[in-house]
Amino acid sequence: MPSPSRCCGPLLPGLEQPNRRVLANGAELVSLDLSEAPLICLDFWCRAGSVFEAGSESGMAHFLEHMVFKGSHSLAAGEFDRRIEALGGSSNAATGFDDVHYHVLIPPRAAPEALELLLDLVLEPRLEGEAFAMERQVVLEELAQSEDQPEEVAVQQLLAMACPGHAYGLPILGRREALLAHEPEAMAAFHQRLYGGGRCVLALAGALAGTDLESRAAEGALASLDPLAGPPPLDPLRVQPGERRLELPRLEAARLLMAWGQPPARDLHGVMGGDLATSLLAEGRRSRLVARLREQLQLVESVDLDLHPMECGSLALLEAVCDPDDLPAVRAAIHTVWEEVMAEPVLAPEWSRVRRLVTNSYRFGMEAPGNVAGLIGTGHLWGRYESLEAPLEAIDAWDPETLRAEALASLDPRRAAVLEAVPA
Amino acid sequence: MTTAIPFTVPSFSLSGGLPVVARSRPGPEILAARLVIRGGSGADPRHGRGAHQLLAGTMTRGCGPLDADALADLVEGAGAALRAEAHEDSLVLGLKCAATDTPDLLPLLLAMTRRPLLAPDQVAIERQLNLQTLQRQKEDPYQLAHDQLLRQLYGEGPYGHDPLGVEGELKAISADQLGDLAAGLGRQGAVLVLSGTLSDNLQSLLEDSLEGLPWTTHLPLASTEGAPPHAFTGVPAAGGSLMALEQDTEQLVLMLGCPTVPLGHPDALPLRLLQTHLGLGMSSRLFVVMREERGLAYDVGVSHPARCGAAPFVMHLSTSADRAEEATTCLLEEWRRLLEEPLDPAALELARAKYIGQDAMGRQTCAQIAERLALVLSHGLPADHVERCLARAAELDGTALQQAARRWLPQASLSLVGPAPALASATAAWEAAGGMDLSRSRTPA
Repeated sequence: MPSPSRCCGPLLPGLEQPNRRVLANGAELVSLDLSEAPLICLDFWCRAGSVFEAGSESGMAHFLEHMVFKGSHSLAAGEFDRRIEALGGSSNAATGFDDVHYHVLIPPRAAPEALELLLDLVLEPRLEGEAFAMERQVVLEELAQSEDQPEEVAVQQLLAMACPGHAYGLPILGRREALLAHEPEAMAAFHQRLYGGGRCVLALAGALAGTDLESRAAEGALASLDPLAGPPPLDPLRVQPGERRLELPRLEAARLLMAWGQPPARDLHGVMGGDLATSLLAEGRRSRLVARLREQLQLVESVDLDLHPMECGSLALLEAVCDPDDLPAVRAAIHTVWEEVMAEPVLAPEWSRVRRLVTNSYRFGMEAPGNVAGLIGTGHLWGRYESLEAPLEAIDAWDPETLRAEALASLDPRRAAVLEAVPA
Repeated sequence: MTTAIPFTVPSFSLSGGLPVVARSRPGPEILAARLVIRGGSGADPRHGRGAHQLLAGTMTRGCGPLDADALADLVEGAGAALRAEAHEDSLVLGLKCAATDTPDLLPLLLAMTRRPLLAPDQVAIERQLNLQTLQRQKEDPYQLAHDQLLRQLYGEGPYGHDPLGVEGELKAISADQLGDLAAGLGRQGAVLVLSGTLSDNLQSLLEDSLEGLPWTTHLPLASTEGAPPHAFTGVPAAGGSLMALEQDTEQLVLMLGCPTVPLGHPDALPLRLLQTHLGLGMSSRLFVVMREERGLAYDVGVSHPARCGAAPFVMHLSTSADRAEEATTCLLEEWRRLLEEPLDPAALELARAKYIGQDAMGRQTCAQIAERLALVLSHGLPADHVERCLARAAELDGTALQQAARRWLPQASLSLVGPAPALASATAAWEAAGGMDLSRSRTPA
């Protein structure tokens, strides 16, 4: 077999490696200069996702993310948004199972002011009672909006059955009764417990040359955080195989949902193997599952299979949209496709196609400062300090036979949690 | 803000007239290309709604010497993304690839346009997929409310349907009809925009791919009329209608809107500033009043897409069924405020800052740069249209915005989707407010 070669020329031309700096309290700064970017992204990451909630804290991580925008000790409610947007910037935040992040996109000249505002906002939230009650309403509306989308209900049910006893099986938005019972004091304790030095990373990406953002960040509010240690090791995810059928009102087409356990995010080799395997099976019209189920048999409107890298264990999630009567045929075809891929060697053109899809997807993601800040921020947050090329090198380390024996084998349909959702 | 170049000359034109604008951009070695051909779902044939989207989808299923599999092998084998879709005013073909793959892939945009295979079996697959998507979209209450509002605002007119089409009509479109549509592509103009790492021989590469058969087309022309470009049947419903669709949901979706002006119209800028003020970002008026101060909604905003005809201006939110009346009343008040009060200077200044900020947000990737430039050029506007607007925005005051609102937003229609009790409360609030016909408060011309 020929040795693996780099298929894509210079991997990431023009990009430096990120700068890393650790403050005395354990908080980290990581930055990457993108000289052509019109905006700078300031991205604050904290290991405070829903996986860190105690039983009574259901939905707290996400609710806190909302409350942060309701003002801090020195910023009135709404003042942060008004000032950031008046500077020509925009901001948002997102809560995941593992972590939460707050980010601002801002023109370079306004970045120093935005940095101060962001850290002020995130590190010293006001959590005032009246605003708390009001924002609870907003979170409940968010929950209701999500429950009105039958597909989201189905995915939540799949996670519940695939991840029993694990935080990944519980909704990030929280349970309604728990949300109604939350109090500002408990939220303040949650913030105090989790938003500490050893659990936070500030990522900067954009046209940083000539700014003093890094030294400002190192000397500002980030340095005054309590030096909380990082969290203890997380509970590893073990996906529970099984089957369920669910009738959902307002569903117009059936869904076949499948979940497989995959290597955790810290296992870069395993994650890139998962990316290659899922792309081989379901990315593009010529991928195995799309070609068979949609183009040839015409059984599905769509079939998607994506790897979701997560800290306790990643998930590969499949979704097929089809007529309810075709569910058995769709399941049988998925099984056949998997057996075929396990029985025959992957040939050179398909191998090249898959490598290029995964490689380009990574390279295309290195353009926008928001993507880059997210990539380096989340990596450093979880103690991964590989070079930017490392994911591309990890792709090169796979060959078709190993992919079959390891990554593709792990997507055995018999090892999946399977949910059939049909119109009620 | 510079406005030194009044009208960007295309980098070059191909035989027959296709203007090509190429913008080099350092960074990762990527090429983004966008070919916009005027004439989209708004130009669907009578009783053939969905034809342009079906054509666009089938264009990706074979062209020139490449059948569907060979075309997909070429594109996916290079790890590239190639798509074609119908928008309301145009067909849009987009390519993103590693710059080194330009010679193999860029010519596909012209081959798909000039020599699509439109094989009957591929048309059938694409049609079936579109029908399934239309069906599945009905799961989304926002989609239902939006489709209903389009019918209220545009009736059977060009903008009255989703680009995917209308089920009964989509089923009947033949491969021959698609062939006729394909043969007419470019008659209303087209433009190709490239951004990223540009190879030296772009012009000969593209010229060669025409294979000696010039494509007769030209830079699209501007339209500044306040009505859709070619209404073919019926009349948009008279303003101020209410429509309600019952669904067994927790929330009520509300959409309040009306048709306004094309992107090239002088009032497009004041309306854009009003949209920015009302709906853009967490400092926006609707976000603050309806979410931050009342906790009425998680998702609230204003949609106002760029169109060659009468672009919709739509406020939207979803709220719990038991708060339907409050939300309806509040939404109507906010619409009325646009007509009755000029924006105060601080609010206007914030709207201007956000408008300028948006411009930078839309220039972060090659694909975004190509998309934004192709948009203005496809509307027949100068390449520096955005810069001109940014300069003009500094001169508009609150009164100018109010006058534009009175000209274009005097009446609005309300589309509701949700459970019966919420529909009843919202309808009562609508009637108590006297609907949304404010023509009596209009200033004399």
